[in-house]
Amino acid sequence: MPAARSLSVMTVDDQFSMRSLIRNGLREIGFTDVRECANGEEALRQLITQPVHLVISDFNMPKLDGIGLLRSIRAYPPLKNTAFIMLTGSTDTEVVKRAMQYGVNNYIVKPFTVAALKGRIEAVVGKLN
Amino acid sequence: MATGFDYRPDPATGERRVHVVQGEYHVTDDPSIVLTTILGSCVAACMRDPVAGVGGMNHFLLPDGGTSSSGPEALRYGVHSMELLVNGLLKRGARRDRLETRLFGGARMVQGLTDIGEKNGSFAVEFLRREGLAYLGGSLGGTHGRRVQFWPVAGRMRQMMVGREEERIFEKERRSAVVPQAPQVATGELELF
Repeated sequence: MPAARSLSVMTVDDQFSMRSLIRNGLREIGFTDVRECANGEEALRQLITQPVHLVISDFNMPKLDGIGLLRSIRAYPPLKNTAFIMLTGSTDTEVVKRAMQYGVNNYIVKPFTVAALKGRIEAVVGKLN
Repeated sequence: MATGFDYRPDPATGERRVHVVQGEYHVTDDPSIVLTTILGSCVAACMRDPVAGVGGMNHFLLPDGGTSSSGPEALRYGVHSMELLVNGLLKRGARRDRLETRLFGGARMVQGLTDIGEKNGSFAVEFLRREGLAYLGGSLGGTHGRRVQFWPVAGRMRQMMVGREEERIFEKERRSAVVPQAPQVATGELELF
């Protein structure tokens, strides 16, 4: 049973307000090491030098979208085992199918509650304490 | 997206009206479309890219104005609504740095209670500021409902204040409306876990 504070998380979303909501939710769950990026390209650059345990990424972003980020992570051996949760809109079924092809660990539909976020994370990393 | 799409053009003007109800949004690059809505304490953002010739409107209400019993989590409805509108515009060729927004609604419809309208309006203004999106004003606050019409391609807007009798009718409808619930589990046919 991992402690949330022992896990590092990166949230990737081009909207500051959404990153802020996720950051607050993660802190409420107990995460303390929370990093943020505004697009996939910036996230990938940071992950190469500073890997994290879990990436929570939006799909729809400029430069490198969520699928592109997921593919890059899975293709780069030092990062390929990073847990990855995709944020989607309710109509993005095709996006989720593509993400599954590229090895996404889970997904969550916006708008979501903190409880739902926690549930999705626990389904990937195990029950948190 | 939006409900209430009337495909029949107005015989006099050739315009087609799309009524945007609470919780919905609509984006278009069709110059014949007029987006309409009726607002009490809800807020509608009328957003457009004048260069790309595309625009849209959303219509949202934060449960309890994003405060008190619902907690800050209620903000997610507003953030999601604004995100859907922005992303809808970007998909139609708009550029974020060219987006212009006017905000309407946020009236105090019931005296003596928490000013939910003010909270909705403040949230929308703050959202635009945080996201670096241009805010060109509009009409927020007051104590009367509004009818808003928005020609998204031309950028024209019209606001009409609503009479007391009409206000009573749609406030009653608003109170009986179901507050949107976030899905607890994923919707659609895909289930990973």
